[in-house]
Amino acid sequence: MASHAAARNGGARRDQRPLKKRLADASAPYLYSAPALILIVTVMLVPLILGISYAFRDIQLLNPMSGGFIGLDHFRTLSQDQNFFRALKNTLWWTGWSVLLQFIFGLILALLLDKPFYGRAIVQALVFLPWAVPSFLAGLNWAWLFNPVVGPIPHWLFALGLMNEPYNILSDPQLSMWGPIIANVWWGIPFFAITLLAALQAIPRDLYEAASIDGAGPVQRFISITLPFLAPTIAITVLLRTVWISNFADLIIVMTNGGPADRSQIVASYIFTQAFKRLDFGYASAIALVLLALLISYSMLIVILRQWLLSKD
Amino acid sequence: MASIDIANIRKSYGIHPVLHGIDLAIKDGEFVVLVGPSGCGKSTLLRMIAGLEAVTDGEIRIDGKRVNDLAPKDRDIAMVFQSYALYPHMSVAKNMSYSLRLRKTAKDRIASVVAGAASKLGLDPLMERRPKALSGGQRQRVAMGRAIVREPKAFLFDEPLSNLDARLREQMRAEIKKLHQDLGATSIYVTHDQIEAMTLADRIVAMHGGIIQQVGSPLELYDNPANLFVAGFIGSPGMNFFEGRYMVTGDTASFALTGGIVLPLGGTANLQDGSRATLGIRPEHVVLGADGPDVMKASVDLVEPTGFGIIVHLKLGPVAFKAFTLDRRFLGMHGEVDVRLPVENLHFFNDAGKKV
Repeated sequence: MASHAAARNGGARRDQRPLKKRLADASAPYLYSAPALILIVTVMLVPLILGISYAFRDIQLLNPMSGGFIGLDHFRTLSQDQNFFRALKNTLWWTGWSVLLQFIFGLILALLLDKPFYGRAIVQALVFLPWAVPSFLAGLNWAWLFNPVVGPIPHWLFALGLMNEPYNILSDPQLSMWGPIIANVWWGIPFFAITLLAALQAIPRDLYEAASIDGAGPVQRFISITLPFLAPTIAITVLLRTVWISNFADLIIVMTNGGPADRSQIVASYIFTQAFKRLDFGYASAIALVLLALLISYSMLIVILRQWLLSKD
Repeated sequence: MASIDIANIRKSYGIHPVLHGIDLAIKDGEFVVLVGPSGCGKSTLLRMIAGLEAVTDGEIRIDGKRVNDLAPKDRDIAMVFQSYALYPHMSVAKNMSYSLRLRKTAKDRIASVVAGAASKLGLDPLMERRPKALSGGQRQRVAMGRAIVREPKAFLFDEPLSNLDARLREQMRAEIKKLHQDLGATSIYVTHDQIEAMTLADRIVAMHGGIIQQVGSPLELYDNPANLFVAGFIGSPGMNFFEGRYMVTGDTASFALTGGIVLPLGGTANLQDGSRATLGIRPEHVVLGADGPDVMKASVDLVEPTGFGIIVHLKLGPVAFKAFTLDRRFLGMHGEVDVRLPVENLHFFNDAGKKV
C-alpha cells in the first residue's frame, strides 16, 4: 500500500518531458477546438455585442453627424415613451391570446388526429400545411380576407348580423389587434398539433386500457393519464412559443403595420418601425435590449418554475 | 366472484377472422389458463372478455349477464398486463388505490384495503415509490395489488410473467397460485408458456389458429392429448412424433416409419390397415438400455444433461427423436443403444392429426 503510494508520487515528480513538449501537450485541446470557437464567437457574439453597443449610441441613418456615445439617453427617452408602453401592453395581449388559442386549438386537433379514422394520413398532411406557408404570404392572405373590397369575411360577418356594415376590422382601432392574432392562430396551430400529437402517440396504449378497466371514463382518463404525460411537452412548447410569438412581428407589419394609430403595435414591430421607417438604429437597439431582458427574465422564471416542480416530485 | 360463459365467440379484423367460434364455460372460482403459440387468438379472447376488443359475433356472459356492449369499467373485472401498465406519475399507493378513488370509496376504507393488499404482496416498504424506482418483480406485484384491492368478479392475466427473468417467473408463478388459493377468485390467465399453464391451471384451454384444441385438466392434456397440436405443445422436452404407415398382420400390428424401419407394436390401435398415421411418445417414456423382443438399435446423437435428468438425442435410421432419463449412467453414452417404445405409452394420431 505504502510502496504503491510512493511509486505514484514519484511518478508525478518525474515529468521529464521538455518544456516545449509540455506546452504543446497542454495547449493541444484548445488549439483543436479553436476554429470552432472562433467561428461561434464571430457569428454569435460579435453581432450581439455590436447590437447592444448601438443601444448606447446615437445612430440615425439619415444624420451623418450621429454615431456618438450617449450613455443611457435612449433609455431615458424610452421610460417616457407612451408608444413603447402601449406596445408593451399590446405585446402581452398579442402573445397571450395567440399562445392560448394556438394551444387550445392545437390540443383539440392533436386529440382528434390521435384517433384512427379513414384518410387520417391525408388529413394530417393538410392540417400541417399552414406551418409551411411563409409568414408574409399568410399575412397578405389574411389581410385580403379581412378586406371588404376583395375578401369575404366582412360580408359573412355582416350577413350573420355581427357587423352593421361590411368594414375592415384591421382599420378599427378597437379590433385591429385581432386581425393579426387570428392569422397567427391559423398559422401556429400546426406547431402545437404536431408536437402534442407526437407526445400523445408516445403514451402507452395499455395505460388507457388499464385505466378503463380500473373504472375511468374518457374525462378521467384524460385528466389522470393524458394530461400528466403531456405536461412536460406543454410546458416546453408554451415557453418556446411565448418567446417566438412575442418576437414575431411579420404578420403585424404586413397586415396593419402597427396601425391604426399604433393600436396594433407590439414591441417587436415598434423596433422594426423605429429601425427601418424612422431609421433610428440607436433607439431601436435600446428597445430591443429591453425586450431581450424581459424575455430572458421570463425564460429564467419558467426554468426556475420547472426546477421547482421537478424537485417537488 | 362470478362464472364466465363464452358462447360461440367470433372475432374478425376486417375480413381476417381471428377467432372461429369459441365456446367455454368458466365456473365460479376456477383458474383457467388459455395457452397457445403467438397469434392463436388467446390474448384477443381475453381482451374481449375485458371489454377492450369489440365482439364480432357471439355472447359473453359474466354471472349470467350479457356484457357484450358494456364498457370495461362496468364489467367489474381486473386485469394484469404483460407490461404491468402502471401509472408512471403515481406512487405505488396511488396506483393501487386509483380504481377505489374513481369509485369515491371512503378514504379510511381505501387506506385499509390498500394496506391489506400491500402486506399480502410484501409491498409495505415501497408504497411511496414511483413505478420507475421498482424492479420488474415489484412492479408485477403492484399490478396484482392494483387488481386485488377492487375485489372484482374476475381476474384476467395477460402474460403477466413474460417480462421477468426465469427465476423470478418461477417465484411469481407460485405467488399467483397462492393468491388464487387465498382469494378463490375466478381467474383467466393467458400464456404461451406451457409450464405456467400446467402449474397454475385448474383447467387448461389449448388454442391454435383461433380454435380451441382441447379443454381439460393439466394432466388430462398431458396424458391424453386430443390431437397432434396439443401433444406437441404440452410437455418439455416435447413429444416425439414418428410419421409412417400402420400395418396389421394377423393379430399383431406394426408401424412402418417413413425411413423404412418397422416398429413392432404389441397390440392393435383403432386404425385402418395401411393408413397413414403419426405415432407419438413422450421422451420420458422411451426406455433406454432395454432388452426384450421389441428392442431396436438407435444411434446416440447428443447427450444434454439438465442436472435434474438427461436428454438423449437419438436417431432411428434417419428419424430423430429424444429420450429423457434420470439415470446418470447414460451421461457418457455414445454409439448405439437399445431402446424400447412401450406400447402402453404410445399415442396414435390419424392422418387428420386427431388422436385415435
